[in-house]
Amino acid sequence: MSTPDPNNDKRLAVMAEMLYLCNLLLLPGIAFIWLLLLNIRRSSVASPLALCHLRQTLAASIWAGVLLIPITALSILMGGYQSVTGWTVAILYFTVCHASLVLLGVVGLAKAMAGLSWRYPLIGPVCGTRP
Amino acid sequence: MQYQSQMVAKPYFIAAIGLFIGQIIFGLIMGWQYVVGDFLFPEIPFNVARMVHTNLLIVWLLFGFMGASYYLVPEESETELYSPKLALALFWIFLVAGALTIVGYLAVPYATLAQVTGNELLPTMGREFLEQPTITKIGIVIVALGFLFNIAMTVLKGRKTTVSLVLLIGLTGLALLFLFSFYNPHNLVLDKMFWWYVVHLWVEGVWELILGAILAFVLIKTTGVDREVIEKWLYVIIAMTLITGILGTGHHFYWIGTPEYWQIIGSVFSALEPIPFFMMTVFAFNMVNQRRREHPNKAAVLWALGTAVMAFLGAGVWGFLHTLSPVNYYTHGSQITAAHGHMAFYGAYVMIVLTIISYAMPMMRGRAAANSEKAQVMEMWSFWLMTVAMVFITLFLTAAGILQIYMQRMGGDAAQPFMVVQENIALFYWLREGAGFVFLTGLILYVVSFFVGGEERKETA
Repeated sequence: MSTPDPNNDKRLAVMAEMLYLCNLLLLPGIAFIWLLLLNIRRSSVASPLALCHLRQTLAASIWAGVLLIPITALSILMGGYQSVTGWTVAILYFTVCHASLVLLGVVGLAKAMAGLSWRYPLIGPVCGTRP
Repeated sequence: MQYQSQMVAKPYFIAAIGLFIGQIIFGLIMGWQYVVGDFLFPEIPFNVARMVHTNLLIVWLLFGFMGASYYLVPEESETELYSPKLALALFWIFLVAGALTIVGYLAVPYATLAQVTGNELLPTMGREFLEQPTITKIGIVIVALGFLFNIAMTVLKGRKTTVSLVLLIGLTGLALLFLFSFYNPHNLVLDKMFWWYVVHLWVEGVWELILGAILAFVLIKTTGVDREVIEKWLYVIIAMTLITGILGTGHHFYWIGTPEYWQIIGSVFSALEPIPFFMMTVFAFNMVNQRRREHPNKAAVLWALGTAVMAFLGAGVWGFLHTLSPVNYYTHGSQITAAHGHMAFYGAYVMIVLTIISYAMPMMRGRAAANSEKAQVMEMWSFWLMTVAMVFITLFLTAAGILQIYMQRMGGDAAQPFMVVQENIALFYWLREGAGFVFLTGLILYVVSFFVGGEERKETA
């Protein structure tokens, strides 16, 4: 019976966090699908550390989508394209929310690189449970 | 403290904090003048308060960088400073020159100051951030050269490390780029272009190298992570800084009369400028997560992590917000710029100077490694008060900026004049002023934390 390679586990955890950040910063949607596939394919064989990061990043990515797209769109649509208040709220909300999610991802990435588990505050499931 | 000559950093740090307090007081005066236009008029007109606010910022940060260099270079080079006497002499020259300049700004009209100081012989005055009389600029060059000589000789006679070399490159760049402040062509386009060589290539170029070196030094000392690991990060960060920052200067050339290709070059390279700040944040958190020791100076570690986060937000995110030329067409010179400027300067440079002061000052005041728990708790309160206040200042200015752009620049024929718009967004200026007072409270707590006694906190691992 083979023992799991800790380096591979760490790599998988780092990969998950990087895809989360990539989804927010570079390739929205594509990176999410990649992360989803990684979760489907590797969850059953991943170590607790890698599994924790896979689950966290998937849940956080879904939350990011919910927090960023509909709420921003709603604040513009409700105010109308000509409403300065709508744009002010939308731009401020999107910038603050997006930057906060990126910063959480940075902390997650640093934890994964150090071989530590990490739970996204408020939006991440408890490690060891389904998202 | 390993070397006696490191003590010369102490007066630099004390002067830096003193001038920082002055900067914030003038910031509050200006903030009030935004909403009560004749406040302190004619004693301190708005343009003078603004000049003092920004010039004090630059001068106290330079004091902080010099103090940081005098503290960390002997330790990195494993030798005493080449000339502590020269360092102290330069300190007094710089302090007296700086104080006289500020007194000059406040005591006489700017045109008179230019006349009295012989500006017509070599005209360099009258440009934003470079308002100093020519004679003061010459003084700055002399101080900078003497300082560079002292630091370079120390590095040359001792151990060469990546940290000290990156710092030296940054400081050399700082001194050399300042020379562009003496070039004042009649052509306004050229004037602006070379002006940015000082301003942009300082804050989005060589100052980032200084920031990276100081941050790396503090992280090496507080986390116990191998120097090689930290140095590799530092190499990549400074490479990205220079790759993106130098051509990123182009984002200042969009509307000053330079050729159109700067729209593309500026947009592309400045869009990449958040990358080094992003990496710096990953770097700082990664090192703290991989730490091999529990350093007793928790406040210094908090400042170090805060620097990385706030620099990423202020310089990275808020910079990116308005850096693409189609966006910048509407946003340039608005309160969005002020929002970015405040958070970027605080996050990247104010916080790194406070980080090194927080790390070094306890040892320079006779402690083994850190202040008492009580003093550190107060210092951490000051961290949160100042940082949260700065976040709100940035948010209020951003909101003011969006409204300003919309009413002043996007209304077509219905666009409103500048002063009418200023009246309309006054609420955000009041809110910003409130946050400014919270910031001052945090700064007072920071100063008070130096005078809190108690038993020294010990290393736990």
